Amino acid sequence: MDSQPEPVSYICGDCGGENTLKPADVIQCRECGYRILYKKRTRRIVQYEAR
Amino acid sequence: MEGVSYQRFPKIKIREMKDDYFKFELRETDASMANALRRVMIAEVPTIAIDLVEIEANSSVLNDEFIAHRLGLIPLVSDDAMGMRFSRDCDACDGDGQCEYCSVEFHLNVRCDSDQTLDVTSNDLRSTEPRVIPVDVASRSLASESGGYDSQERGIIIVKLRRGQELRLRAIARKGIGKDHAKWSPAATVTFLYEPEIHINEELMETLTLEEKRSWVESSPTKVFDIDPDTYQVKVVDPEAYSYDEEVIKKAEAMGKPGLVEIYAKEDSFIFTVESTGAIKAYQMVINAIEIIKQKLDAVRLQDSEEPDMGELTQHL
Repeated sequence: MDSQPEPVSYICGDCGGENTLKPADVIQCRECGYRILYKKRTRRIVQYEAR
Repeated sequence: MEGVSYQRFPKIKIREMKDDYFKFELRETDASMANALRRVMIAEVPTIAIDLVEIEANSSVLNDEFIAHRLGLIPLVSDDAMGMRFSRDCDACDGDGQCEYCSVEFHLNVRCDSDQTLDVTSNDLRSTEPRVIPVDVASRSLASESGGYDSQERGIIIVKLRRGQELRLRAIARKGIGKDHAKWSPAATVTFLYEPEIHINEELMETLTLEEKRSWVESSPTKVFDIDPDTYQVKVVDPEAYSYDEEVIKKAEAMGKPGLVEIYAKEDSFIFTVESTGAIKAYQMVINAIEIIKQKLDAVRLQDSEEPDMGELTQHL
């Protein structure tokens, strides 16, 4: 398993700027201080059953 | 009871045959055969449909699961399905379900770079096997010249993209049957009706006035009877329009003329209507269904010669 948790990048809901957050970080945009952040879609391939 | 045979020799008469529509008469057999044929056509004639979707990128408004489900429902040309293997009993790929004998791969890679909304349709799917492609809706509707369909619009819409959105995926299509999931059913509708036998009591009918005859003819919700303009006799114009509603019988009783008409369902004559989704031609659906019934009967017969162990049999049912 991964030894250290990788920082995950998020998109600000207000200004659209990219933010990287680590565990226990305050959920807030570094640019504009907006408190709603959206997680980006994974770059990995995801598999679904077509049912 | 050794040696007693109930073997019959059913007859088929074709009435109308188009790629997606087939109408025929089935005679000299019973309801169990007719219903078996109907049920096998709906649930057990195999077709090919997308079963696994690997999404690389999806920035459309529809979520991944939604798109995967829509892809599964697209009918694919399945003329080769009868000869194909089910991925669950394919030796070549170890039940992996991703080899050339039991699967077909599709790729979809679309990105919208204009200000106009881009329709992603079944025509954007790239198949690795030219014989297995999405059913061409537009050319089919042009061929049958059915009105109401805009031929400018082609293919089956999967999703719509605005500027900057993209959809990139790989899909695996597999052979399957309608019993497992309706997406594998080649049938749009399969129905049969018992052929009605209508006997008018002419003697009793002649005791009616013309006005009474008219009102009796009108009592049928479907146009089964009519009045001859010359002789003013009531005649049967379309026995198959009769829907076993018994309205004419109730009307005759209400008029105080019970037994004016007698209607029976012929127990050994059926009129089938088969409509296809386009995956398989309608007549081929009937042929494949008969082939599958034969295979099932063979399974029962082989069982009979060995020990009558019902465990194995019920597995195939």
